[in-house]
Amino acid sequence: MKKIAEGRASSDLAGGCGLSVPWPAVPTTDRHPRRRPKSRLLHALLAAGFALAGLPPIVMASAAEEQTTDSTLLVLAAASLTDVLPRVADAWVRSGRTAPTFSFDATSRLANQALANPSADVFVAADLDWMQWLEMHGRVVRGAPALVASNELVVVVPLKGPVPQSPPDLRAAGRLALAGEHVPAARYARAALEAAGVWAALEPQVVRAGSVRGVLEWVARGSVPAGVVYRTDALASSSVRVAFVLDPATHPPIGYWAAPLATSERGNMAEAFTAFLASPEAQAAFAEAGFGPPRPQADTGIRPSPVQPPSIWSAVRLSLLVALLATVLGFVPAVGLGWLLARREFPGKAVLSTVVMAPLVMPPVVTGFLLLSAFGANTAFGGALAAMGLSVSFTLVGAALAAFVVGMPLYVISIRGAFEAVDAYYEELSWTLGSPPRRTFFRVSLPLALPGIAAGAVLAFARALGEFGATIVLAGNIEGSTRTIALAVYTLLESPAGQETVWTLVAASVAISMLALLGFEYFSRQQKRRLEDRHVR
Amino acid sequence: MSVNGAFSLSLDVEISLSVRTMRIQLDTSHSSIAIVGPSGAGKSTILRVLAGVERRARGTVRFAGQTWQDTASGTWVQPWLRGVGWVPQEVLLFPHLGVRENLGYAGAGELEIREIAALLQITPLLDRRPRRLSGGERQRVALGRALLAKPKILLLDEPFSALDRSLRAELSEVVRAWTEVRGVPLVLVSHDAEDARVLAEERFTMTDGELKPQ
Repeated sequence: MKKIAEGRASSDLAGGCGLSVPWPAVPTTDRHPRRRPKSRLLHALLAAGFALAGLPPIVMASAAEEQTTDSTLLVLAAASLTDVLPRVADAWVRSGRTAPTFSFDATSRLANQALANPSADVFVAADLDWMQWLEMHGRVVRGAPALVASNELVVVVPLKGPVPQSPPDLRAAGRLALAGEHVPAARYARAALEAAGVWAALEPQVVRAGSVRGVLEWVARGSVPAGVVYRTDALASSSVRVAFVLDPATHPPIGYWAAPLATSERGNMAEAFTAFLASPEAQAAFAEAGFGPPRPQADTGIRPSPVQPPSIWSAVRLSLLVALLATVLGFVPAVGLGWLLARREFPGKAVLSTVVMAPLVMPPVVTGFLLLSAFGANTAFGGALAAMGLSVSFTLVGAALAAFVVGMPLYVISIRGAFEAVDAYYEELSWTLGSPPRRTFFRVSLPLALPGIAAGAVLAFARALGEFGATIVLAGNIEGSTRTIALAVYTLLESPAGQETVWTLVAASVAISMLALLGFEYFSRQQKRRLEDRHVR
Repeated sequence: MSVNGAFSLSLDVEISLSVRTMRIQLDTSHSSIAIVGPSGAGKSTILRVLAGVERRARGTVRFAGQTWQDTASGTWVQPWLRGVGWVPQEVLLFPHLGVRENLGYAGAGELEIREIAALLQITPLLDRRPRRLSGGERQRVALGRALLAKPKILLLDEPFSALDRSLRAELSEVVRAWTEVRGVPLVLVSHDAEDARVLAEERFTMTDGELKPQ
């Protein structure tokens, strides 16, 4: 059970942005049957290693055999099943089977993954529409989808603060967190809020997380005053409380549908697992976690209105604006830090350098999470900023802050290198010619390092353009204020109609990045030229 | 040949380098001295100590009745306040500035720049970039830059090494005249006995960090 807990923690950290949670702790890809040539090579290498180590090769051979008769199912399952399916799997293992590997994510993204990458065995969706979409593409065994559980939608609020009683109260609550446009939970919520007649007024207040788990995280941290999640998610968290239930008569029935995938190489077992989900043992686990029984509900006939695709122009403009802001705001700190690290020895220098460089190697979602913890509306610092009109959560300011922090290491490392390349002799000479250090900095050090500083700025700009993980955790995915190219591509990838638009954005993204890197190359050469041939001998 | 009776230079410093600790003692009232010796003996370090850019030196440095450094009492005169005209061995012209801007770095006007340029035979080079100069040309520009800073003492480190014989003799004469007319003392570091003979009243030999009068 410890492994499950770890898996969940990382999923929550990511705000549900598509981290797959291996269960048990086995990387998903290693179970991929098509990787066998690679794993054979690995085994050969291992066998060679063992042979060199003087171990009998026979031991290795039997181990390899065990590996290749792979009977582990890969199950793609809706994020809201993150807690319950491992328990169902326990029951499955008790019946003498091999534990499956799970990949939990938003249904919409899983459906797209199943379409593009036919390695999974079972698909468990949080709505029928996505299941039917996959069936239409021939990826699901025809007629096989089975209803395995049901759920309810609730509005959750932080433990402290006002508690809205009905959809109209949400307008006064302020921001409302939903999952991405195409994620089932968000589609249901939209249908319900449209039926309640409050959607048009609420829409500008909506902020988007990657999945319901992301919504839950934001509400639990108090970053947003209200969010819509499944009842089971609300039950699983002790940091939120349920304000009210969205009337099931106002949205399509919420059903979890499971089906074996047509592309599975373990078809029989995939069917068996799908059937097992309806067994009494599995149903007991579902019920214990708060899911409803798989009773077909009457179709309300209500469907959410079609979603507007992300605007390409808005995403490109926003990306350039955010990257430019991050670069301009970063100029003075980056030059200062670069100079300090290149030219001064002081206690704590290694610590400062490490802190500045950390975002380069830390997972961006971790950076985003730390920024959310430091600048979130519920923190003292974040509150003070918000009072100044500089709220970072779900705003352009937040997107720029994320880009700034993530771009800073490359900015500083380039500038530090530029200052280090400037011989300290120049500065010493300037001093003896009557210019104190400050004047020397502006007359000699800065101009000599200028091309390197420009190279750093271009690199930071390019990195800021590509920023994704920290932005979606800190600032969310909001059309027109934080949905940059990277986030727009992410949104489009989960939309059935988005594939063509994606290519336009991908082309724009590649073009801007290449241009930026050409700029970096140009300025790096200029820096070299500027300092070249400086000694007479 | 001493033109300034008040001139005196004394130096007693210890410099801890990674390989050895160097003790340099120097006391003179001559207005021009030369330090000769093999390369690597630490000659350039003496000029760095006088210029105030050698932070590893501990001890006392006194010039013309002024204490520039006294580690015991914590006295330290910053290099930008010492008024030295330092021409280091590695001739470093500021590469982002033209010859004219390099010459005028310490604030000299156009008239003064032209005067010095004529003296050092570099007038045709005024609008060039340092990158496009020969080694000897750079040495002359660096020398001109130091002279134009109106120094109270001139510190020259192998200033003519890249020049041919005849130009070398000519420029030695120019520097000698310039320092004499203005009463500016000179410390010359050279491996060339001839330069030292022309320019200096008193000569020292430096070997293995030890300074001895010749």
